[in-house]
Amino acid sequence: MKENFSGRSRFVNYLVPLCLFAASWPVGRTGGALYALGALILAGLSFFLFRHLVHQINQAEQRSCELDEQLIQSQKLAAIGELSSGIAHEINNPLAIIGQEVEWLRHLFETSTLQEEKDRGEFSDSLKQISSQVDRCRDITHKLLNFARKMDPVMQAVELNRLIDDMAALVEKEAKLNNINIIREFQKDLPLVTSDPPFLRQVILNLLNNATYAIEANGTITISTKDNKDGRVEIAVADTGRGIPKEHLKKIFDPFFTTKPPGKGTGLGLSICHGIIQRVGGTISVISQLDRGTTFTIRLPIAP
Amino acid sequence: MPSFKVLVVDDEFDFLETIVKRLQKRKIDATGVGSGLEALKLLEETSFDILILDVKMPKMDGIETLKEIKRRWPAVEVIMLTGHASVESGMQGMQLGAFDYVMKPAKLDDLIEKMVQAYERKLLREKQIR
Ligand SMILES: Nc1ncnc2c1ncn2[C@@H]1O[C@H](COP(=O)(O)OP(=O)(O)OP(=O)(O)O)[C@@H](O)[C@H]1O
Ligand SMILES: [Mg+2]
Repeated sequence: MKENFSGRSRFVNYLVPLCLFAASWPVGRTGGALYALGALILAGLSFFLFRHLVHQINQAEQRSCELDEQLIQSQKLAAIGELSSGIAHEINNPLAIIGQEVEWLRHLFETSTLQEEKDRGEFSDSLKQISSQVDRCRDITHKLLNFARKMDPVMQAVELNRLIDDMAALVEKEAKLNNINIIREFQKDLPLVTSDPPFLRQVILNLLNNATYAIEANGTITISTKDNKDGRVEIAVADTGRGIPKEHLKKIFDPFFTTKPPGKGTGLGLSICHGIIQRVGGTISVISQLDRGTTFTIRLPIAP
Repeated sequence: MPSFKVLVVDDEFDFLETIVKRLQKRKIDATGVGSGLEALKLLEETSFDILILDVKMPKMDGIETLKEIKRRWPAVEVIMLTGHASVESGMQGMQLGAFDYVMKPAKLDDLIEKMVQAYERKLLREKQIR
């Protein structure tokens, strides 16, 4: 949308002074004026054409940069995923053995009569503590394995506007409490997209959740969809929140990167989004201005 | 209408009874149980294609039930039902592998449409694995 608008207004910018100039030319010298006008229009047109070409080249360059970055990011994610699942696997085995030994100790303890009353209490507390810590470790390793797990997407027809609307409704009530408005700018005749619906729901929810967190209170989230007419559709989630500092922009898709206070965020949200969008053949990018807001843009292929 | 088997899990008895009846009237093979534990028990004996799972239930809540179901019967597609909109539980549910998240009161037609999509997904996944 925005690009189209700025493109048109630039064209108008050249045309208006040209017309004004032509209109103010004295009537008596029509012949010369015609030549001059012709030359001017030609100059204007070629200038416009040149600007347009430069603009296109820049865009193409930017796109290839974006692609490079997406590639690096996905390689990084894959490496971290592999590493963490490797570690999780390695730790799971000794954990299982510790768990079994604890059970065995408990059994020995319960059948023995040798211990004094007060020793028994401590012994049993200690066993309980060990097994609960083992459970905790197991929980962490399972989460890591879950993060690394490569679930193949299941591609089916998706009514994107409807899917997004559902997720917005889920967020809306809580958002309203903090005076955050959700505005939907959906393109009406958006084509059906072939993608993985639950994956997309997860991504939209994550982005909406991040947006409400970034706004805290009093602001708007604008979700828009549009057909890019190049075989892709575009979803944008824009917020009027705190924005992202430049030095963070490169890190936000990294797993475990978070600016939330300890214990509040895992920093896995955006890396999960990135992984999902990659798997369904799309791209995700971000633009942000400090204290102004942030826009995440997803481009999805209409057919896989 | 494709034929699939649905299990509705909700502790609110009135809601459960009504929805099961209305689904059956639409010729959908629907069963209802009142708790997560009952659902797990029933799944051990009978197979279902789709589960409609209330998020808020006493004892074993919807999220916990979902976790257990996805661990033991990953092929079952689960649609979460929630009375109040909560981002947190929504994110949890989707991350644990739910197919969709629907707010109560859901229109029956909408719910059925989501079930059809969930069932389509189940079939597609079975085809992928084979
Ligand atoms: N819309 C946004 N506005 C400003 N900053 C954002 C936005 N979205 C993400 N960020 C930044 O990117 C970081 C990483 O986001 P991500 O979703 O991966 O993790 P998180 O939100 O911190 O933790 P979790 O998702 O587990 O709650 C955030 O901590 C925040 O600094
Ligand atoms: Mg997040």
